[in-house]
Amino acid sequence: MSLRESIHSARRFLFGDSARAFGSVSAVLLVVLAVVPARDHFREWLHYQNEYQNLIRNRRDGVSLARRFQGGVQQVWLPQLGVVDRCGTCHVAMKEVSLAGIAPQPFHPHPPIPHSLTEFGCVMCHRGQGAATTVAEAHSSTLSWENPVLPARYTESSCGECHEQPLTGTPRLDDGRDLLAQYGCVRCHKVASPEGRTIAPSDHPPGLKHVAEKTSREWIFAWIKNPQSYASSARMPNFQLSDADARDISAFLISQSTPYLPEADQKIPPIPAAAGADAVQQGASVYGEAFCASCHAMQNAAGLMVGGNVGTELTRVGSKVKPEWLAQWIRNPGIYSPRTVMPHYRLEPKNIGLIMSFLGSKTDSDFLSNVHLDPATAEQIAHGKRLVTEKGCASCHDINGVPHPDNFAPDLSAVGSLQLSKIVFLPGMPHTLPDYISAKIRNPHSFGNALKMPQFTLSDSQVESLVTALLAQTTRATTLPAALRMPAPAPSTYEPAGSAGELIKDLRCFSCHKINGRGGDMAPDLTWEGSSVQRAWLVNFLKAPNTLRPALIRRMPKFDLSDEEANTLADYIETVYQTPAFDRNEIDAAKLGASDAAHGKDLFYGKYACNSCHIVDPNKDKGYIGPTLTQVGLRLNAAWIFHWLKNAQALRPGTMELNWNMNDDDARAITAFLMQQKAAAKGASK
Amino acid sequence: MTETEPKEFVASIDSDSRRTPVRVAFVTRRTSPQVRTHDDPYVMTFPEVLFRAATAVEALLLALALLSLFWDAPLEGLADPMQTPNPAKAPWYFLGLQELLHYFPPIVGGVLIPTLVVLALIVIPYFGINIETEGFWLKEPKKRMRALAIVVAALSVFLIVFEVWSVLVPTILIAGIMLLGASPAANSGFRKWLRMKPLSFWIMSWFLTVAIILTVIGTFFRGAGWALVWPWEA
Amino acid sequence: MPGLIDDIAGLRNSRVWRSVFRSGSGESNLHRSLAVQQNVFLHLASVKVRRRVLKFSATWYLGTLSLGCFLILITTGILLMLYYHPSVPQAYADMKDLQFVVSAGVFLRNLHRWSAHAMVLLVFAHLFKVFYRGAYRPPREFNWVIGVVLLMLTLFLSYTGYLLPWDQLAFWAITVGSNILAAVPVLGAKIRFLILGGHTVNANALLRFYVLHCVILPLVTVLFVAIHFWRIRKDGGLYVKEKTDDRN
Repeated sequence: MSLRESIHSARRFLFGDSARAFGSVSAVLLVVLAVVPARDHFREWLHYQNEYQNLIRNRRDGVSLARRFQGGVQQVWLPQLGVVDRCGTCHVAMKEVSLAGIAPQPFHPHPPIPHSLTEFGCVMCHRGQGAATTVAEAHSSTLSWENPVLPARYTESSCGECHEQPLTGTPRLDDGRDLLAQYGCVRCHKVASPEGRTIAPSDHPPGLKHVAEKTSREWIFAWIKNPQSYASSARMPNFQLSDADARDISAFLISQSTPYLPEADQKIPPIPAAAGADAVQQGASVYGEAFCASCHAMQNAAGLMVGGNVGTELTRVGSKVKPEWLAQWIRNPGIYSPRTVMPHYRLEPKNIGLIMSFLGSKTDSDFLSNVHLDPATAEQIAHGKRLVTEKGCASCHDINGVPHPDNFAPDLSAVGSLQLSKIVFLPGMPHTLPDYISAKIRNPHSFGNALKMPQFTLSDSQVESLVTALLAQTTRATTLPAALRMPAPAPSTYEPAGSAGELIKDLRCFSCHKINGRGGDMAPDLTWEGSSVQRAWLVNFLKAPNTLRPALIRRMPKFDLSDEEANTLADYIETVYQTPAFDRNEIDAAKLGASDAAHGKDLFYGKYACNSCHIVDPNKDKGYIGPTLTQVGLRLNAAWIFHWLKNAQALRPGTMELNWNMNDDDARAITAFLMQQKAAAKGASK
Repeated sequence: MTETEPKEFVASIDSDSRRTPVRVAFVTRRTSPQVRTHDDPYVMTFPEVLFRAATAVEALLLALALLSLFWDAPLEGLADPMQTPNPAKAPWYFLGLQELLHYFPPIVGGVLIPTLVVLALIVIPYFGINIETEGFWLKEPKKRMRALAIVVAALSVFLIVFEVWSVLVPTILIAGIMLLGASPAANSGFRKWLRMKPLSFWIMSWFLTVAIILTVIGTFFRGAGWALVWPWEA
Repeated sequence: MPGLIDDIAGLRNSRVWRSVFRSGSGESNLHRSLAVQQNVFLHLASVKVRRRVLKFSATWYLGTLSLGCFLILITTGILLMLYYHPSVPQAYADMKDLQFVVSAGVFLRNLHRWSAHAMVLLVFAHLFKVFYRGAYRPPREFNWVIGVVLLMLTLFLSYTGYLLPWDQLAFWAITVGSNILAAVPVLGAKIRFLILGGHTVNANALLRFYVLHCVILPLVTVLFVAIHFWRIRKDGGLYVKEKTDDRN
């Protein structure tokens, strides 16, 4: 039979009449329909579950792993959160700690976290599409689900959707939120919590209403052209101004400046910088003794930055400020800038002169050498004012005649929920939200020169932190059940009273110390300080602070307080800042026995190994983390030590001290031992 | 209509259908059923027609099942009234209409035109000219040429005013094809065929062409802001 | 054909079979006529048709295929109803469940969707085919009108079903469509309010569309399909161009 004939007969057999055709088509249809359920056996998750079972089969703990393994689609359903979470269908080993580091993904066990999987599911933190059971749909951004799984380095941002307060587990998020405040991002952008609370800026951009008194037009020109060329640590962003724009802005800023000194202060004779061969050297010592470096940084001869980052960098300050202004500023900074965080030192004119000559020597001849400005014309000044208004300078700085702009930049309160379809990505950049935000922060001008956002100087890790903090700003956060929200407490408006209160404000104690919830966290919380320290020690310390923690660079400055001022402050602290938890005199140190002390010494070096962090015998102990305890018997009250040893966190939340939960006998013994430590303080008493 | 020879019969009224098995058919020009003699072969519905129909439906199901196995139905993100996609498109069979809305005010594009289309579809079999089904050019060609010219010109002016090029072009094209059959001297097979086509054919063909063009443009060539784009750019 | 039928002839003579299909077995045309006449579904059709209408070129089977689509849609639609809640946003979550956990759920939804598109296409094609064949002419003019009604019903069925997945595509397609309605003079906004159960597409609209799509429109369509088929017989069977016909 030829091929043609056989095809012909096959056709006759299959489609010869209508019944045969019906039968043939039915057969094919049945085969195709049978493929449909068969396809269910090739689903991705089934493949992973089979792989997992092969993986555990030959392990020693395979039997118990297999017993805990549950096949089929695994689902966490949280209707209140709108979460249907099927990640566990493939990630079957999330609770199998024994597989850590052994099994490949998707079989990694989950590291321990404070939340339970059944309570929150996976997508609350990692985002992605929880309902999906395929790798692509669950993890990536698809047509039906825009929000992909967050890269692991940004996972902390999801913590921030509920938690507003810093957490030990979220350093990146907390850092990012601090940066938003420190770099003044929130001065232009609104970043509000679902409760409507905005992040408050924590930077201190100087007011410019009297700027001509402080510096020259040339310096302003050079500074606004490139702030980082003056001080590498400067936070002011680079606006990438042309020479003409910088010339006009500097002209306007000088022209709007007004005198700042009240008449009374103008009568005080100006203090000249100290002259003489070793004036600079002596000025450096005064600068050191006053612990200016606790706040101000300076590049040393080796090019290393030394000092704190609260105040401005002073490496080239001699090229910046005018001597008359500097003298007045050091004498009392509050006069020029009432909101400054710099304390009012009680320095003698002689010392002010010495500091001035030291700072005056900190110049950089190159910085202003190329700046030559002709006298400003009225046109330039007008143009400068327009530029200052356009660029939003008044968002940060007080400027005469330029009001603070409202809603200058886009509201970022929900930037973490920005729709990808609404974003114009740069060519070649990955189409994800984190990539977009970080590119925007890194280089705003790459998105077009019309953008007003200036160029900030930020490290990669700072950008990552900022992105983390911004990704926490989602609309999902606003729809969460109220019970899940962990908002930060309202900021404290605590004001100390009386003449001591005036002193506390004048000395800007809140710049570093926290009292009743108000203030910085650079130095110890003083809310219960009155229960803690002995009065005699406190008075001495206020007058001449010595070093409690040898490992720290930042130290309490020496304000040169008078006896009266020191006593006023000490009285106030002793009376007002007492804990209600115990009476500070409830343990009489004199009645603690010598045998107790000996036992306490054993416990100190033995059972509790306190010497790991603290020093009692400077010749022997090597603990540099906690405060030195050589004179703790003169410093602290016995009752405080006793309760501190029992539960330090109750007295000072967040302290590094461990919670020993000591029994009364041990605590009493160690207290007795510590109250014996009364080594003469060096330089404590004059 | 075929005339039947008159036959003699007695008409009477009786309720017993067994005794009077006489059927009477009055055949007039206006009523159905048709009475016609022909010698076409017949086939029985069961099984011939039923098997064929079932086979056809099965073949359709087969095709759709294969399609469904390899091509997934679209599903986008959860409906969000705050996020308007650009462009927001109606289902494909309404895109011709949506395209019209781009040119005409809603009252014309969205109400008047679709209503007229539906009404026109309904009245087609009741409209005299369709039933006559004469070739458009067979009678009074000069008068009809004038009428055609007036209608096409009016329609063109209307379409130009609203800048509806995508309808204007097929309108003029079809009028041109109509003219091919206008000349009685036309003797090619195609032109003779055109000559025989009635007006209803022309109107329906025009409607079908315009509907397909508008739907294709609306489906494939419209992007953000209902601007013209290539399908691969959208 | 005879081979296949012979095989089941024994069964067809049984009492049970005879109680169901009264026509019984037999190859005679009487039996075949009875098989059609005595079946509630088939009795709408004539017992015999002219061989020429069975040629593929005559009808392209477009009417049959439209009916086939409708039957596929009813079957898949009922299965889909088992997994579907007409509420916001559960409707969308149900789509995800179909996609990710229901056995053959994706296939079911695909088949329903593609059949729906195919039905709209086929019904349109049917209309044009009937027109160009001239099959709408008297005495079939009323069946043509029923056909137009069925086309409208098909569009409404498809349109109401379009909203049910409650995704962006659905929401905005229905929004665009209902905004066209609002252009009707005087009553436009009121009509839209009636159909949507509100001024915008919302949960009420979803419920209304669901009821229309799953209950009202299918019932009405079945009714009109029945009339449509019955009218074919009443109007003298499917149209065939007469050899003696001088028309066209």
